Parts: sequence; C-alpha cells; structure tokens
Amino acid sequence: MSAVTKFSVRRAEITVAVVLALCSLALMYKSAQNRITWSAEENMGAGFLPFYLSLGMLICTVITIIKFILKKSPQSTNNEPFIDPEAFKFVSVTIISLVVLVFAIGYLGIYFSLICFLAFYLRYFSEKSNSFIFNFSITTPILTFLFFEWLLKIPLPQGISEPLFYPVYDVMYGSSSLFMIWIYIIITVLSPTVLMLLANRFVK
Amino acid sequence: METFALLLQGMATSFELLNLGLLIFGCLIGLFVGAMPGLGSVNGVAILIPITFIVPPTAAIIFLAAVYYGAMYGGAISSVMLGIPGASTAVATVFDGRPLAVKGEAMTALTAAAVGSFVGGTVSVILFTLFAPPLAEVALRFNAPETFALMVMAFATFVGLGGDDIPKTIFSILIGLVLSTIGLDLITGKPRLIFFGIPGFLHGINFLVLAIGIYGIGEMLWTLEETKGKVQMSKLSVNMKEVGRAFSALKKTIMAMNIGSFLGFFVGILPAAGATPASLMSYGITKQLSRNSKEFGNGVPAGVVAPECANNSASTGSMLPMLTLGIPGSPTTAILLGGMILWGLTPGPLLFTQQPEFVWGLIGSLYIANFFTLVLNIALIPAFLMVLRIPFAILAPVIFVLCVTGGYAPTQSLHDVWLMLLFGFGGYMLRKLDYPVAPAVLSIVLGPLAEKAMRQSLILSDGSMGIFFDFASKPIAAVIMYIAIVLLIMPAFGPLYRRFFKKT
Repeated sequence: MSAVTKFSVRRAEITVAVVLALCSLALMYKSAQNRITWSAEENMGAGFLPFYLSLGMLICTVITIIKFILKKSPQSTNNEPFIDPEAFKFVSVTIISLVVLVFAIGYLGIYFSLICFLAFYLRYFSEKSNSFIFNFSITTPILTFLFFEWLLKIPLPQGISEPLFYPVYDVMYGSSSLFMIWIYIIITVLSPTVLMLLANRFVK
Repeated sequence: METFALLLQGMATSFELLNLGLLIFGCLIGLFVGAMPGLGSVNGVAILIPITFIVPPTAAIIFLAAVYYGAMYGGAISSVMLGIPGASTAVATVFDGRPLAVKGEAMTALTAAAVGSFVGGTVSVILFTLFAPPLAEVALRFNAPETFALMVMAFATFVGLGGDDIPKTIFSILIGLVLSTIGLDLITGKPRLIFFGIPGFLHGINFLVLAIGIYGIGEMLWTLEETKGKVQMSKLSVNMKEVGRAFSALKKTIMAMNIGSFLGFFVGILPAAGATPASLMSYGITKQLSRNSKEFGNGVPAGVVAPECANNSASTGSMLPMLTLGIPGSPTTAILLGGMILWGLTPGPLLFTQQPEFVWGLIGSLYIANFFTLVLNIALIPAFLMVLRIPFAILAPVIFVLCVTGGYAPTQSLHDVWLMLLFGFGGYMLRKLDYPVAPAVLSIVLGPLAEKAMRQSLILSDGSMGIFFDFASKPIAAVIMYIAIVLLIMPAFGPLYRRFFKKT
C-alpha cells in the first residue's frame, strides 16, 4: 500500500504527460507510413490528417510538461496520493475482474463468463445471501440471452460453450415444434424461481 | 389557412384508433430502445420496419416516427440514471444529467429532459408546419464547405466545454479526432493507424466504444474510488412538492430551450448533420452564453435542457429534407426513407401534393406523439427512479454487463470490448488529472463528418483553404467559419475580460 501512497498526483501528472507525448510520437510515426503531404497537384495523403493531429497532441502535452516544470498547473504542486489508498483495493479488484471477464468471454463465452463474474463481484462487494447471489448471477445472463439473441437476433460470443446452445437455437429458429417453444418459455420464466429455491435449500 | 386545415385533418388521422394505438405503442418502444445502451433510434426503426408491412403506409410512418421520437426521449434516461448515453444523441445529456442524479436531483434531471424534449419537439414541428418548403431550399445550399464550417463551429464550442486548462482540452479534442481517423481512409481507401496489424482496427472505432468506456466503466471506477464501494444515493421521493421543485428549476432554462429548439431544428434539416451534432452544439453554445457557465458539468438543468431540446428538434427537422427532397438528414431518416420506398411512395416535392394524407398524417402525429411521450415519460419517472434505489454493489455489475454487451453489440467484435475497457481505464486516469473527457467523445462522433466535408471541399477548390473564407462564392460557409473563429478565441479572452472588470 505504501507504493500507492507514494505515487502522488504530482508524479502522476508528469508520468501521464510523458506517456501521452510518447503516444503522440508513436501516432505520428504510424501515420507517416502513409503519405503525409498535401498540395494542389495531389490530394491530401491518407496520413496527413492523423499526422498533424498527432503533432497537435504532442504540442499540447509539451505545454503541459512546461507548465508542470514551471509549477503553473494545480497538479504540479499537489503531493496527495493519486489514488486514495483505501479505495485502491476496490478500483484494482474491479479492473482485474473486468480484464478477466473479457478474457473469459473469448474462451468460455459470454453467458458462463457473466455467471462467474457476477458471482465473484457480488460475493466480494455486497453483503447479500448466497441464494440471492446464485439467483442473480444466473438470471442476468438468461435475460441478456433472451434480449439480445431472441428478441434482437444479435448473437453474442459463446466460445467453447456454443454447442450447448444448439438445442436452444433449434427452438428459436423453428426447427422444433410450437409445443417445444412453449416449454422453453416456461422453463426460462420459471428457472430463476426454481434455482432460488434450490439455492436456499443447498447453499449456506 | 389551407395549411391549418390540412394540419387539423392530419391530426384527425392520427386520432384514428389504429393510428393512435400504434403511436402510443411506438412511443413506449422508442423510450425503451433509446434507454438501452448500444441501441438507438436507428436500431429500433430498422428492426421494426418489417412489422409495418401489415398496416397502411400512414399508420406505418406514424408508428416508426413515434419510435424515432420516443428514442430521442429515452436516450436521456440511461444518461441520467446510469451515466451511460443510450445513444449518440444523448451524449451531451450525460454532462449535467448524471451529476444532477448523483446530487439526488434525478427528478429534476428527468423532468428537465422530458420537458426540454417536449419544447424542442413542439417548436420544431411548428416550424416544420410553417416553413417546410422554403427551409428545404436553404438546406439544399449546404454543401461540403458549409458542412465543414458548421463542424468547425461545433469543435470551437467544445473548447468552451473543457475546464480552464486549454491545452488539456485541445488535447482531448485532438485525440478524439485521431481516433476517428483509424480505419480505412475514405478517399484513398488506404488503411490508417492499424496497430500491430490487428484487423479489428480496419472498421474504425465506433463512438459508442469510447462513450461507453469513458462514461460507463470510467464513471463506475470514479464512483467506486470516491465512495470506497459504499455509494449512498441521496434519498429520493416522488411527491407533488418534488415535482413542483423540478418544474420551478426549469424557469432558468428558457435560453437553453430557445437555443436548443431553433439551433437543433436548423442543424437537423441539413443533410448529413442530424441530432448528434445539434445536441452537442446546443450544449456548447448554451454553456458559452450562460452567466454561470462554470457551473456546467456539475449539474445544472440548462445543461440537460439544451441538448434534449436540440436532439428532439433535430429529429423533426431531419424529416423535412426526407419528405420534401427525398434526402435523409440522419441515419434513422435514411431507414424511414427506405421504408417509404418499400411502401410504394416516392419521396420528393410531389409527395405533398400526391399523398397529402400521408404527409399531414405524419406531421399531425408528431404533435400528438410529442404530447404522449411527455405524459408517458413523466408518468414513468417513479419507475426510472427505482434504478437509483438499487444498492450500488448490485447496480455496478449490472452496468458492467450492459457496458460489455453494449460495446459488443454494434460491431459484434470482442476487439471493441477490449478497446472499451482501455478507454474506460484511460478516461478514468485522465479525468483524475483534470483532462476533460467530453470533447474526446464529441470529436470521435463528428470527426468522420468533418473529415469527409473538408476533403470534399478541398477537392472542389483544388486544395485551396480559401473556399471556407470566401464571402463571394461561399457566403454561408464564410460567415459560419468566422463565427467559429470568434467562438474559438472567446475562452482565451474570458480571463482577460474578468480581470479587467475586477480592476475597474
């Protein structure tokens, strides 16, 4: 935690300004891979606009650095911690869990990843009962599925879990009977309640 | 007098049972679609077009126009309640709507949004009724140089959006513009700024990725740090006293209503402009002209009213070139235009004479839709406020789920979800160091429009920038350009002006 306290607003200001200046230089370099010239004879090159806009970014960051050196900006004299040490835990856990979530979406698929993410996040931050967390973590992906895949017909990534959804797609796209569609609707509507009852029974 | 009779006839058409039912249903769907991050009026209208084949064209256009209208109202709901713009047209509503909700004045913010939308919608539909044909001719005179000048004016108003740190504000505008250039160059077709050869960059960066990253993920991280995970929303009550307080707060927003309504309508009728630039420009200009411009961004009702008036006004305005000339003013009207062709109608000047029932039915329905959406919106405010009663520990992961799905849905690429996370973390860090993030979002929205207009103009003028400043050949562009320059240098003179008056 001491490293967090030592990293002051002042340090953050100069670090971020230098990083942004380097990013601007990188953007200029990348833009220059296309033609960056423009004249009456030949139209504007594809790299012209990004190159000069990045140059403008570089100039702005250099001004920020000069203001820092001359102590003209409020951040240049602020020695308070950049991130509140008490809040650091909350912010870092959130960032890490989001990164893991997006990694997992690519592999496990969105629905199973969301179940894991919600269960972990609610367990960590809320004081809700296990049954609530279990129920909530299952219901949210089901609703997400119904809204995006059924109503809007927008497929979300499913990774290795895709084969598990084939029977559901059979129902959705009409290769199953109307009876099966009703069974599916009933299961979807009732599943949260059943799961909550099960959770109350077995998860302490 | 004849116009008035036709309008009354149009209103009577929209009061027919089928039309009225579809109108109310459309408003409700629109509210929902507009409030969902990642979905906007374009998605709503596009998805629902096939449904309209089973009803007559007049009922169909009334239904779709109601969806379009409802979505303009609905975009404000998620902007205020969750801090995530429901659509690009509601980006500017976040700037003051969200701080108002955090302060416990969500009722004021939602009322301001609903009333602002109603005023903007009503003013624009009156202007539409009175001046449709002559305004269509003015709009036709807006070619690439005029559009570029208008975009420069929008960027100039953004400088006023930032704090006192002008270099950081300009940096924010420029990074938004650079991000908007990623992808294929629109003139030469060459790929630009494709980092590490990742193919995801080829389709460019959707503005929603940046907006959801900054206002969804970034805002949540900010709130977590500020409150250490224990967000205590101020107690919210919905009673007549609260409603009265919310309405009385609107007395100070007359100027914002005027700017939003008239500017919104005018920008809306320009081909290829639409409601997003209109709402952003209205916010910027209202802020610059306001006496308490420093308060903007911290939660002032005028900051909600201006963009909401403008986006509704522009959505009506954008129907004008669609009906009179057959030129869509926005992506949604482009889909509506497609629908009209599918229904067997020919958009253009003859539509008013050949299909008066259709045209005046639509115009009449806009008045009615405005009224019903206002009533529905105000009536549903208690339901919207319930969102704020959900404990933060539950609301936060739900918002993260909405962000991830909303970031994925438009392009269906996981690459965009990664970018959204990156922008969220980056936006959070930059915001902590007083870099204004709003101008970056605005620039990524308007960047492609501005670049296209600029490059087309330069091709017209053989590479001479004089085309934007020449009063003789392009008077409209020149006037707008000089106004933009004045707006651009105004913030620099502000401190000098204040210093001078303090001394005297």
